[in-house]
Amino acid sequence: MQSGVHIYCFAASYAAALAIEALGAWRHLPWRRRGVVAATGAGIVAHTWYLGERVAATPGAALVSPHDWYLSAAWLLAAITLAATFYYPSRSLGVFLLPAVLALIAASLPASADPVVSNSATRFWSRLHAGLLMLGSLAVLIGFLSGLMYLLQSWRLKRKAAPLSEGFRLPSLEWLEKVNGRALPAAAVLVGLGFLTGVIVRWSQADARGGVPWTDPVVLSLGVWVLWLLVAEGFRLLYPAARGQKVAYLSVATFALLVLTLAAFTLTTSLHGEPAAADVTPGDAAGLLHPTEGDPR
Amino acid sequence: MSLLMVGCNHRAAGVEVREQLAFNGSQVGEALDRWQQTLPETELVLISTCNRVELYAATAGGEALGPDELAAAMLDYHGVARDSVNGQLTKLADRAVIAHLFHVAASLDSMVVGEPQILAQVKEAYQAAHELGTAGPVLHELFQTALHAARRVHNETDLHRHRVSIPSVAIADFASRVFERFDDKRVLVLGAGEMAEETLRYLKDAGARNIHVVNRNEQRGRELAEAWAGAYHPWNDLWEQLIAADLVIGATAAAEPVVGAAQFAERVAPRRHQRPLFMLDLAVPRDFDPAVGEEIGVYLYSLDDLQVACERNRRERAKALPAAEKILENEVDRYLAAAHHRAAAPVITGLRRNMEAPKQAELTRLFNKLPDLDDAARTEIERFADRLVNKLLHPPMESLRDASRDGPPHGLLDALRRLFHLDD
Repeated sequence: MQSGVHIYCFAASYAAALAIEALGAWRHLPWRRRGVVAATGAGIVAHTWYLGERVAATPGAALVSPHDWYLSAAWLLAAITLAATFYYPSRSLGVFLLPAVLALIAASLPASADPVVSNSATRFWSRLHAGLLMLGSLAVLIGFLSGLMYLLQSWRLKRKAAPLSEGFRLPSLEWLEKVNGRALPAAAVLVGLGFLTGVIVRWSQADARGGVPWTDPVVLSLGVWVLWLLVAEGFRLLYPAARGQKVAYLSVATFALLVLTLAAFTLTTSLHGEPAAADVTPGDAAGLLHPTEGDPR
Repeated sequence: MSLLMVGCNHRAAGVEVREQLAFNGSQVGEALDRWQQTLPETELVLISTCNRVELYAATAGGEALGPDELAAAMLDYHGVARDSVNGQLTKLADRAVIAHLFHVAASLDSMVVGEPQILAQVKEAYQAAHELGTAGPVLHELFQTALHAARRVHNETDLHRHRVSIPSVAIADFASRVFERFDDKRVLVLGAGEMAEETLRYLKDAGARNIHVVNRNEQRGRELAEAWAGAYHPWNDLWEQLIAADLVIGATAAAEPVVGAAQFAERVAPRRHQRPLFMLDLAVPRDFDPAVGEEIGVYLYSLDDLQVACERNRRERAKALPAAEKILENEVDRYLAAAHHRAAAPVITGLRRNMEAPKQAELTRLFNKLPDLDDAARTEIERFADRLVNKLLHPPMESLRDASRDGPPHGLLDALRRLFHLDD
């Protein structure tokens, strides 16, 4: 980028915040919270700058590439991490959230930076589709992380283990269960709507002749994911007494399907763009969507 | 300036002596008021807790009070004979007083090292003396520095972060990891043991309001329920109460477990649907079959489990002690250096005055000789004179500050007085 703000700048800031969190878990650091806030805040500023430059570079189709999708999701999760550090200063949420932020940034590297939409008629629906799936994915990610923390906390409590250290405090089972229980239905609604808007995009494209390509790796994995979410949510609604561990396990399974979908989204040649490293001419992989610009990284 | 402390504490005096010399809230005010009449030149602060009764005294100048005089004032208030406390009164002076107060405030001198209440008690004692007008500038500085040192120990070490009593560990280290809050939780107490009451106290502090007692002896059960604004249930309701409870404390005197694993699995678990249940077994022999803890959603802790956690926390506290001691030593040195430096204040003021007068006279003479000087030139000349005076004063000031670190710089102060005719 012209300003010199590179992906590695904000990735390094988030990594520094994670290192401070981890160090604080190991030994008492009076400045731990301030350090995490400063490093995460610096990361968010650089991250925002980078995304801003991406918008400026492609004014007609801002943030509609898989690369931008990952970075926008990472930005949102980083903002959630910063807010969590303020609201829950005594809990070590950053230890779990920051690796997820870094993983999303890492996933953006092989993802295509070509915008996947150019048709103004479908732009609104495409953006809504991408936005809903992004929020749904974040809900799944948060559900997964809270489920993971729940299982870890429960496992340690069952073994009569004291908190790992004063600097490493997980939230209570009650709080984690609440977050976990809200993330799953939110994910079901958002991903379900995201899937529907994807179908609308497909139908509204003038040159779509073959309908929805169900065998496309992304469409297929997303369909399976939506089905699973509906089944999981149905189970939760039918058995309201099912709690704690059961819902935590459901979240972990849902996350596994998210990873599968994102892998298809990032690594396969599909109607959602090409992998960045692939030696393929951008666009028209499925003969339907038209990337407009090359990779600006 | 002289500092004194006379008193008794859990280290040197038995509980009988501490009881005889203890002051309640109204007595503290009355005693300080009385001593203010008899010792008008002395600043006083009185700390009276279960484990210590300590009277701190300071005189800024003039005739210093003796430790026996101070001890007599304290003993006379209670009408206690000197012979009855022989060897059990602690008497400290100057640096030892500062170090002792800093240790007390930071909870390094407490019976349970690191317990947090003492800091508030020291603060309250100082506040009471301040309101009564018995704490002057010397004790103000001393107590403020002690509170600052205690806060440093609290913030910079792990000393206060590890709880060491069974009920506090049970609630803070375990129950609070299961539940976010306690005000909406149903607490069930089985039996009426002393440990159950102690744990209820912590739970009440944590916000618990919904308390239920199940006891074989109805009268004792009702008494306990009443004392904690809870509800009593007969023993027959045990299983129904277990289904409804979120947190159970077992404290019966039963010879065998009152909640068996098979009964729990059959009568309670299916109706709880894995809802988290925190079980605290404080009875010996145990009230809950350990196999109950294997049920999903049940978190069961016995006295032995908690004892292990307490021991581990004690060891963690012990590890933090050297760092805490270092902070206090550093704070004592800083306090003394500042106090000694303050003692040099009259000499510093005199020195500055001695330089200011000739400076002003020379400036006036110069401005009279050069009447055509404009305002800018006059200001510049005045600044030059100020800078010159400051630079001339800098070396003696620095020498005073350096000398203050090792004690009151009497020799240097005398030399400065004689060299610059400060007494005149």
